[in-house]
Amino acid sequence: MCQNPNEAKLNPSHFEGSNEEHQTAQEVEGGFAAYTQGMKFFDPHVHMTSRTTDDYQALADAGVVAIIEPAFWLGQPRTGLASFKDYFASLVGWERFRSSQFGIKHYCTIGLNSREANNEALAEEVMDILPLFLQKEGVVGVGEIGFDDQTAAEEKYYRAQLELAKEMGLPVQVHTPHRDKKKGTERSMAIALEHGLAPHMVVIDHNNEETVKSVLDQGFYAAFTIYPFTKMGNERMVEIVKQYGSERIMVNSAADWGISDPLAIPKTAALMKIKGISAVDIQNVTYQNALDSFAQSGQINEKDFIHGLEIDQSLKFNGNTVLRGGQAPRVDKNSIFIR
Amino acid sequence: MNTADLIFQSIAALTSPAEKAWIEEKLHADAKGISLAFVMVPRIIAKHSIENELSIITGWNWKNATLDQLVRVYFLLHLAEKEDGKSRIETLFDTAEMNELVALYRALPALKTPEIWLHRATDAVRSNMGPVFDAIAFGNPYPHTYFSELAWNQLVLKCIFNDKPIHLIEGLDERANQALADTLADFAHERWAAGRRVPSQVWRLIRNFQTESIEQDVAKLSKSEDANDRKAAELILNNSPLEAWKALEQVEPIYTA
Repeated sequence: MCQNPNEAKLNPSHFEGSNEEHQTAQEVEGGFAAYTQGMKFFDPHVHMTSRTTDDYQALADAGVVAIIEPAFWLGQPRTGLASFKDYFASLVGWERFRSSQFGIKHYCTIGLNSREANNEALAEEVMDILPLFLQKEGVVGVGEIGFDDQTAAEEKYYRAQLELAKEMGLPVQVHTPHRDKKKGTERSMAIALEHGLAPHMVVIDHNNEETVKSVLDQGFYAAFTIYPFTKMGNERMVEIVKQYGSERIMVNSAADWGISDPLAIPKTAALMKIKGISAVDIQNVTYQNALDSFAQSGQINEKDFIHGLEIDQSLKFNGNTVLRGGQAPRVDKNSIFIR
Repeated sequence: MNTADLIFQSIAALTSPAEKAWIEEKLHADAKGISLAFVMVPRIIAKHSIENELSIITGWNWKNATLDQLVRVYFLLHLAEKEDGKSRIETLFDTAEMNELVALYRALPALKTPEIWLHRATDAVRSNMGPVFDAIAFGNPYPHTYFSELAWNQLVLKCIFNDKPIHLIEGLDERANQALADTLADFAHERWAAGRRVPSQVWRLIRNFQTESIEQDVAKLSKSEDANDRKAAELILNNSPLEAWKALEQVEPIYTA
């Protein structure tokens, strides 16, 4: 739900760095890791279901230690409850396990996305099974929910899920629409406040230069999706942090089945470092604020991943078939031999 | 005392008063409430390790397990007694995350009419999630008691294929059979062709089922560069008792290099 190919256009360069900064950024293209040594990252929005194991390896190599996978639209509408059930179960099951094999702690948010809220008969059935999934271990919020076309049905299920979040004391991850974004964002916030949610329990996602001020002024968390063409570019992101600082601001990749980049956070951190953003601000927007906001669920313990994933007793037998039949966990991709 | 009482005794010794009170309160809920309590356990119950061995059912090994798993199993025993218990448990299986699946599979041998869960148990053997496979395969008497020969052989073979330690399977030697021995010999040939090996203790499963072809394998094994392989050949040729195989009960690298 995070890319609309019909709306592809280059990031409008609203803010631009100096020529000198631009030059440096060009030179480090492809070598960003030199600037992020020792940093660790938390990507609070990435759809790993749509990605390959190569991406997990790249994330681990780049210092991403924890991720949150919001439930979303799979590119085509589901036609029955069972597909929703299996999808939610895979987010807490197989995907979480797959991630653990690469030493990355995987959390998720569970919700009925805005597009599929428009199939009301099915939406009712999905609402019925949501509480069961929201109570599960490692489910850190209700998400991603909100508006797409801003229809009445979308509003109905957005409101119903805000009530669930309030009842269960869970944070909310709010998707803001591609079209009519500014009004859609304001409307999403107003409804959340109307339902009595504390703004610090709500992460407003996919912000841009036009929406950020109001989101921060009202006390919400503001997330920015670094996603080529349709959302934010990371040069623009640097300018936002220069202007607004790092309080309650976080970046994510929202990498999915579209042309997206799971390494958006480490790359943005490198660019921020090159452009002189302080280490504390970088840590806040690429790690700490994501952690602090979703840890309000009571389901995140930083100790679980800060020193690498602690291997569960039951995992100690190296039992998994992402790695089949005694495969070594890492392979040298440049080697001509396949063994 | 029945199984549930025995489990509660162990739980009571490990829980705080608040945890214990929560468990007792949830036991009075209807089937839906107990299902939800099963899901919520890690939000309420600490994941203390279970240090002591629990003698509840023979072969049911709780070493390396945690308190939350035991509490979940306890809820399942109560849920299984309810009128709609079976369908509730089916739903728990269908919606389970990994730790829930582990608890569900750990619980199988203690549930009312364990045999009705055979289709779930063989699903666990198909699982690609290590801990889920381990929950049915190791320290669990369920496969030994309820699996068909075909399902049993699949369990053992998959365990070897994934380089897991077969000696943790309950009833391993009692259920050894000719079909398994033949399949294992074929599998060893495939590994050898690929320049790999099988863990030496695997050969204990063919000791009573030798054929001409397997005798040739043992001869080959006795000339292996690997000391454990030579030991395995020696144990077979001397018709050594099972206890002697203890020396080879370990996880071994399967690459010759």
